[in-house]
Amino acid sequence: MARTHTRRSFLDWLLGTTVLAWLASIVYPVVRYLTPLPAPVHSGPERLTRGDLNKLDEKSFAIVPLGRKRVLVFRDKKQQLHAFSAKCTHEGCTVQFVPAQSVVWCACHNGHFDTEGRVISGPPPRPLPAYVVTKDKDGNIFVAPEKA
Amino acid sequence: MSDQARYGGVLGWLDNRYDLQPLFRFLGHKEVPIGRHSLLWYFLGGATLFFFMVQVATGALLLMYYRPGEATSYESIRYITTKVPFGWLVRSVHCWSAHLMIVSLIVHMFSVLLLKAYRRPRELTWVSGYALFVIALCFGFSGYLLPWNELAYFATSVGTDSVKSVPVVGQWLLEVLRGGPDVTINTLYRFFSFHVVILPLAIVGLISLHLLFIQRQGMAPPIGETGPSRGMRFFPNFAMRDLLLWLACLLILLVLAVFLPYGPGVPGMEWQLGLKADPLAPAYPGIKPEWYFLWVYQLLKEFPPHILGLEGPQLCLLIVSVLGLLWGLIPWLDRRARAEQESPEFSDLGFAAVFFLLFLMLKAWDIGATKGADEAANLATVARTCAWIVVVLAVAINVVRATVYRHRWFLLSGTEVLHVVLHGFAGVPYLVAAVIAGALGGFALLVGRWRTPGADGGVVRE
Amino acid sequence: MKRVLGRTAFGIVASAALAAVVASVVAPDADEPAKSPTSMPASVKQTVNPSQALAGLLNGKDEKGNPALDSDELAYFKSLPGSAVELFNSAVADENITSSRHLAELLKVRMTPDRLDVVLTDNCFMCHTDPESQTEEDLFSMDPKAAGSPPFMSLASLTQDVHMQHGLSCAGCHGGDPSDVMDHDYPPIWPDDADARTRDRSWVPVFCGKCHADVNLVGHFNSDLPTDQLAKYELGVHGKALLKDKDNRSAECVSCHGVHGILGKNDPRSPVYAKNVPATCASCHADARKMQGYRLDDGSPLPTNQFERYRTSVHGKALLERGDTGSPACDDCHGNHATKIPPQRVCEECHAGDGKLFAGSKHKKAFADHGWAECSKCHGYHAIGKTNDEMLAVTKGALCRDCHDEYSKDNPACVATADFFHGSILYLAQGESRVKAEAEQFARQGLDVEPLEDRLGQLGDLLRQLRSQVHTFDADRFMKVGGPADKVLDQLDADAARARREYRRRRLGLYAAMVVIIVLMALLWLKLRSVE
Repeated sequence: MARTHTRRSFLDWLLGTTVLAWLASIVYPVVRYLTPLPAPVHSGPERLTRGDLNKLDEKSFAIVPLGRKRVLVFRDKKQQLHAFSAKCTHEGCTVQFVPAQSVVWCACHNGHFDTEGRVISGPPPRPLPAYVVTKDKDGNIFVAPEKA
Repeated sequence: MSDQARYGGVLGWLDNRYDLQPLFRFLGHKEVPIGRHSLLWYFLGGATLFFFMVQVATGALLLMYYRPGEATSYESIRYITTKVPFGWLVRSVHCWSAHLMIVSLIVHMFSVLLLKAYRRPRELTWVSGYALFVIALCFGFSGYLLPWNELAYFATSVGTDSVKSVPVVGQWLLEVLRGGPDVTINTLYRFFSFHVVILPLAIVGLISLHLLFIQRQGMAPPIGETGPSRGMRFFPNFAMRDLLLWLACLLILLVLAVFLPYGPGVPGMEWQLGLKADPLAPAYPGIKPEWYFLWVYQLLKEFPPHILGLEGPQLCLLIVSVLGLLWGLIPWLDRRARAEQESPEFSDLGFAAVFFLLFLMLKAWDIGATKGADEAANLATVARTCAWIVVVLAVAINVVRATVYRHRWFLLSGTEVLHVVLHGFAGVPYLVAAVIAGALGGFALLVGRWRTPGADGGVVRE
Repeated sequence: MKRVLGRTAFGIVASAALAAVVASVVAPDADEPAKSPTSMPASVKQTVNPSQALAGLLNGKDEKGNPALDSDELAYFKSLPGSAVELFNSAVADENITSSRHLAELLKVRMTPDRLDVVLTDNCFMCHTDPESQTEEDLFSMDPKAAGSPPFMSLASLTQDVHMQHGLSCAGCHGGDPSDVMDHDYPPIWPDDADARTRDRSWVPVFCGKCHADVNLVGHFNSDLPTDQLAKYELGVHGKALLKDKDNRSAECVSCHGVHGILGKNDPRSPVYAKNVPATCASCHADARKMQGYRLDDGSPLPTNQFERYRTSVHGKALLERGDTGSPACDDCHGNHATKIPPQRVCEECHAGDGKLFAGSKHKKAFADHGWAECSKCHGYHAIGKTNDEMLAVTKGALCRDCHDEYSKDNPACVATADFFHGSILYLAQGESRVKAEAEQFARQGLDVEPLEDRLGQLGDLLRQLRSQVHTFDADRFMKVGGPADKVLDQLDADAARARREYRRRRLGLYAAMVVIIVLMALLWLKLRSVE
């Protein structure tokens, strides 16, 4: 009698411990899931890194990644900031800004766009999609997609 | 109120205040009837409940990060599956559990049909269960749109389109469902309300009702079983078995979630996030609604644009509604079961329904189609291949029924098999084959009644 | 009494209310106008009916007794506005249309009313479309082949002709007065003798040039059109052949632009529309018979395989198959009117980036010394294929290797540089496809591949730039792009490893949970057994 009693209580103890282990295996992922991440939830405007800002000062333009997209940010002759998709609308090469002529140029097939993204010459069929570029008082520059 | 502690600890504290004795007495006496082959079937309702509870839990978790909106629905789900720790797991489990819940629900409904558990006095249990089934399908349909991806967008467009065939209020109904004439983000907002508030309230209410009926009446014993019925105590025996099954279901869920995070890769049962919904993009090639709607989708295709003075889709929906209504009225239609008699016709009806739905589903999946072949030839090939599959399965199932379960009544399932054969092998159009098979089946039924008038035990049949 | 009164009063009020409601629904509104504002008063509306003679022609029969005009033509006539019907009436009255057959032919063209305006008052047009009065050479019809007329006598294309559309019909080129009747003795502004016209075609460019080289005249119609075509033509190969050498096989205006159905170059049906230009040039240049006797500078016969080769090229596929009009056709390199062998720098017109790189490289002087064409030496000119990395290979038969073997035997750095280019690019390209395949697998496994795909995009970009950098033929400048590309590939490999680790972590987590659940199930079952 005593044997079955201790065996049963051992089983009960084992069962209880396993139940706790099982509960832990559920609670742990849930706790991790619920703990908010430090980074922002949703991709808002991207801030240009210091490297990008240096490039912007040096060459008057920088190509910055915004999620999956490449964005061309440049400063025109009037020191105004512009941002367009850096993907040429012809065959998808990355464009660059030529400050001397104040044009956006694609080296692949010699396409030219003006500072508003419109096609001036060459094979590109469509203008460059625009992005919104803003500057805050601390000198940080932000790029965001244009609201549809 | 006696002072002595009947139970120790917490239970005793509660008992002192709420008198738990009647509750425990009731629970202690609750029994599950054990028949010849049937105990396994009694677990299916619980399994469905388990999957539902998983849905509630994972759904609540998902809701913490999901943000409905034109620019946020897709993106937030992307965020959940890529950045949130275990977010991929929560979403994957939620999607898998949805489908498994509906599978389990269908098998549960089928088992109730075979066991005739719907018979008097449990008619309302059947009706509430049927309503639960419809609500579950609505859950699936509304939830599908929430990721706001291409697949969801087109599946919803195709799915909601069918309501405009409802006479008089069709167009209004369409616009109410969609929040406008087309599927837009407003549709998502409405579906979100349904999925997260309206349907959960309804289903919790109906589940409570369904369970209340079962608690009050006990589980249905197998039909016509004479002699003292053996029963298994619910607590703790059946309950522990139930828990065992629930753990097994959990295991299956987790394995599926890790190894097949986007579903089995079957059209109508896949949830890869893919591309964001773009109303201006052309429809997704091979777009199919979820698998539990495929039979309606295919049936709609079988109707010509105009038939019998009505529009094809209208007639189809009418027929589907009538069939649905009849299904809900089964407890009253099955006179034999009401009289506690064996009712092989309704068992056979269940199998006939399975063959009917299966054939349409397989056909909707274009099983047997070859790429590049012209459409007309492909339709015939698909019909033939699906017919083969259904016929082989039907023969196998009916052989098992005849040998193991000693069923003798095969008229309805036979009629449906004939229907499939006529359409798939003889190339007869689907509806024409249905009429022919139905006529032959009806004729055979009448002949049977005429030849053995006493066989129905004097119970008048329609 | 009160009750009866009350009920009666209620009855009266209720009936009155009901009557008012019914009346307001049934009776029309007082201030609605008697007629809809869009119905015209009778004094304004006009109908122009076909005159009796015209009606007779409309209902006329052909020699078999069948109606001469079919239902389409009659329907089209019915759709014409009154002004057009008036034109038909006067044409019949002036005996410019005398047969049903002629009328049928005119209606077949489906001209818009403004076009009808131009042609129905033009006697040249009216006579020369009349099958009863013209011989086959002089008749315009919808099916010239069936009528036995030369192909350029198509009525359909004539009515689409750009000169016709601007009001310059027959008289504009052929001279005469279109309001004049049957009189052909007008001062000839073009060579009268048909024989002479075909024997010596040198009059054609000069004839067209009479208008098209006149800035004021052309500016009258389209201030945008250039007027230098004749001047350019005189300098080009075709012009020199025709005008100086009197070679009548040479192309002149009509050869490319057509004659009676000339369409603008932006019209997709025009033979000089960008996509159609190669076929137009090929109509002579791919015909060995037509090209017989022409030779290249070195004495070898002029090839006729250019169109075939062009069709296989990147440019050909882009233009002809994908419709990318940014891709060059024959005229973009050879020139339009001043057609000649293109200058070396022509590729740079589009491929400016590569051209700049080449210009700063050591190949520039080397090629110039050898007298080689800069771009086409390696890339070809008509059959320019998609570049592939194997061109850089150092195996025998590869482009760089073969050339270097022959011409720079004493400079091993050349082969070494090519080898270095080849190796680096191959390494990066293979790395890219490898990671791409892995990314697909990761996506199937439910992992987050977005950062990986972002970086893959960067690598693809850098690879494209790197392949361009080959044109510097200098390892240091090459590495200015190659270095960052290498780094990106290393980061990609790290990303992939991280993804693999994550997946392993998931599997291990699953196995751990599985163990716990299975143990729990076993214990539960044991408990169950012990309870029963």
